[in-house]
Amino acid sequence: MKKGRYPRLYKEINDALVDRSKSNALLRCMQRGRDTRAATLKTLPGGAAFRDDVKRAKARCIDNLPRLQTMFVENARKRGVTVYEAKSAADVIRYCLKLAKERGAKVLAKSKSLTTEEVELNQPLIDAGIKVVETDLGELIIQLVDEKPYHLVFPSVHKMAPDVAKIFSKATGKAVASDIPSLMKVVQKYLRPIFLNAEIGMTGANIGVAETGAICIETNEGNGRLVSSIGDCHICIMGAEKIVETIEDAMLMILAHPVSASGQLPTTYVTWMHGRNPLGEGAGRNPRESHLIIMDNGRSAMRDDPQMREALYCIRCGACMNVCPTYGIVGGHTFGHIYPGPMGICWTAGVHGLEKAADFAPLCISCGLCKDICPAKIDMPHMIAEIKHRDAQKNGRRTSHHVMMGADKAAHLGSLTAPLANYALNNRPIRKIMEKTLHLSADRTLPPFAAVSFMKRFKTHRSKVAQPTHKAVLFVDVYANFNNPELGMTAVRQLEGLGCQVAVPRQRAAGYPFIAYGDMDRARSTAGYNVSKLAPYVAQGFDVVGIEPTATYCLKESYPKLLNNVARARELADHTYELFEYLIKLESETGHRAVSASLSGMKFGFHCSCHQRPMGSGAGAMEWLKRRGAEVELIETGTCCGMGGTFGLKSGPLGHKLSAAVGEPLFELFKAAKIDAIVTESSVCKIQLAEGTGLDVYHPLELLLPKNSA
Amino acid sequence: MTASPQFNFAESFERLEGVSHTVPTEKAAVSTIIDIINSKQARCVALAGLPSSLAAAIAEGCDGIKVLKSPYPADSLPGAIDEADVGVAGVNFAIAQSGTLVETATDDADRLVSSLPRTYIGVLQSNNIVDKFEEGAARIRHILAQHNENLVISFISGPSRTGDIELKLTLGVHGPEDAHAVIIES
Repeated sequence: MKKGRYPRLYKEINDALVDRSKSNALLRCMQRGRDTRAATLKTLPGGAAFRDDVKRAKARCIDNLPRLQTMFVENARKRGVTVYEAKSAADVIRYCLKLAKERGAKVLAKSKSLTTEEVELNQPLIDAGIKVVETDLGELIIQLVDEKPYHLVFPSVHKMAPDVAKIFSKATGKAVASDIPSLMKVVQKYLRPIFLNAEIGMTGANIGVAETGAICIETNEGNGRLVSSIGDCHICIMGAEKIVETIEDAMLMILAHPVSASGQLPTTYVTWMHGRNPLGEGAGRNPRESHLIIMDNGRSAMRDDPQMREALYCIRCGACMNVCPTYGIVGGHTFGHIYPGPMGICWTAGVHGLEKAADFAPLCISCGLCKDICPAKIDMPHMIAEIKHRDAQKNGRRTSHHVMMGADKAAHLGSLTAPLANYALNNRPIRKIMEKTLHLSADRTLPPFAAVSFMKRFKTHRSKVAQPTHKAVLFVDVYANFNNPELGMTAVRQLEGLGCQVAVPRQRAAGYPFIAYGDMDRARSTAGYNVSKLAPYVAQGFDVVGIEPTATYCLKESYPKLLNNVARARELADHTYELFEYLIKLESETGHRAVSASLSGMKFGFHCSCHQRPMGSGAGAMEWLKRRGAEVELIETGTCCGMGGTFGLKSGPLGHKLSAAVGEPLFELFKAAKIDAIVTESSVCKIQLAEGTGLDVYHPLELLLPKNSA
Repeated sequence: MTASPQFNFAESFERLEGVSHTVPTEKAAVSTIIDIINSKQARCVALAGLPSSLAAAIAEGCDGIKVLKSPYPADSLPGAIDEADVGVAGVNFAIAQSGTLVETATDDADRLVSSLPRTYIGVLQSNNIVDKFEEGAARIRHILAQHNENLVISFISGPSRTGDIELKLTLGVHGPEDAHAVIIES
């Protein structure tokens, strides 16, 4: 185990939980980012469909990157640009230092460039006696206090107006009022001479257009325009992955980026530079330079690594940060190296090294929300799992991760020894010992084990379906098998009641914890096993129905990816349904309704588990409840309840404590809603919500059972 | 021609805190522009990228106000344009969906006219408004075919803005705090 990694995380998480002011500001920012994005998508013809276009375009451009880069360089040179293709961060620094020294530059004005932060360019320039000034307001604020970005798009979101006033008082040596209009005047006055006098203007680029040799710079403040038009020497530093093929591709990115970041359409200013313009006319004209540094710094290696290649699709919009549950509590200084947030883990691994990424990768609870919001549909959870896996191979694993990855085996044992195991679960001293040794939080109320598992009960079950219209395999996973077999049997009866023949072949638990904790070998072998057992049924015309959202997600999303999209895994995924989605489908196709209790007069708050979102956001279960007369309201914050599968079962800051903090806003929403109970299909979200809200929490099928067995 | 437009430029531009003025003639445009200049109590106005007749008419209308226009002597820059309170610049085309004015410049003095003064006025012909954002691509390709060397194309969608302090939308942080589009019906 790498020394110092976990003590640092524990300390910083604990600090964040004590002083919530930064987190509160960050959570407001994230919420606003999500809300404005959602509102703008409503106005966009096609809504979120642009994500497919972006993914296709980025995949094409990254596949063809060597050719496009050559074309881009040639076209930029034709327009008089000096192009330097830098291999490493050191190359970039050396080149910029040389340029600045040769030109005798005293002041260098920068507009926002994450790439320059990636290579930590400012300090060497400052050490060489050059005044380097960030001109994006957020970047300037953190530069003045020597911090790194807290959020990719809003780097200084953790600084309130009075903090900012103090920072500028110190910078200007004058008292500064803390109302925003006064602050703006101070900022304008502070920066205007920098803009006017800087000999070098430095920018990043959001896009390089191979077809034309253009760079596109997106800003809202307009600082990018000033920085790129005044100084006689312009330096643009960009990562090679920003190169796209055509003007149409560029237009797509110019929309996708701000829509995803903050619901803008597009940023206020987009500057397309083709070569360098002169400034003014006549005798006083200075020669004007344009230097374009296209940086590799690990990108070629990322491109050659099939597990990491998709990271190059990233357009740096920061949307993944706006949904990440744990990031919202701890912020970008803990959840980041230089690049923060979920994508920050992947980029840090690519450009700053595996170990630096693995230092904060344990904060990822593998909820998958980042993937669902990403404009390029990058599978960050899978990539982060791979990073955890590679790090564990070098540095070993924590006990708690071993324990959580063995949860299905433990549940099996718990079922075999049910009376004893249940005694232990409810015995505080024993739970305290378990917490010490297994890192399983003693304060979690865990569901009891059933002595006879679902698999055993199903063996003696005799189907009453004479002439089935449908055939389905039930995929059971851990909870319905070892903790709540009655739930599994109710699902069987519901399916059979609609003329569906049910089979339950040998199967393993879905194995998502292997992905969450990064044991990709076991994730792959579990996927391979389950596909080998279930796919033959699909070939015989069976559908597959999952009862636990995350397990269903494994079949639909994770297994094909783990198994390199082999046809059998794909076919299985295509024939996999969530239980209620399938029951609704059966009801519609057969015109029948399964016999069930009426729920009229009841009002439920529905909780959609994170892994359900890409599978229809629980629409099937909500419809099923409504068809039984219940009133159902989807209650959500737009992020996770905090449980993150088994994450919240672990003890301590990187488990139960952080998990509870993430869940608080959702608990408040449920408590404020006028509902009879909460309904969720996830067995672990259920634990979290019951503890967090004090309300009753049911699986929809439990509403059909006699009260005492629910 | 394309089907009837889906988007309205003025609506989109005003949603971004810009102000849109549609006028019937070049003459009416001049008086609208002069009104804006006067309302700002401007002492210095900079012009760029305008048809010469329009530039001359604006200059004539600026009573007692210093008017700067092309060619800008290189040794006076950027300071001269920094003096201007209002910048009036020609617009190549606009995009209705996003409320975007598209400026082209082969001299950065022209870019300073639209980025340094506190008030920006973009002037365009109504037949140069395209409907959907994606239609901009063909326009850009067409413009580039006429420029083999240096050219900077700028999208301007409203006034300069920031949300960097407490996420509060604040206009005019570095660039213009007021952005006007004057659309001459053609």
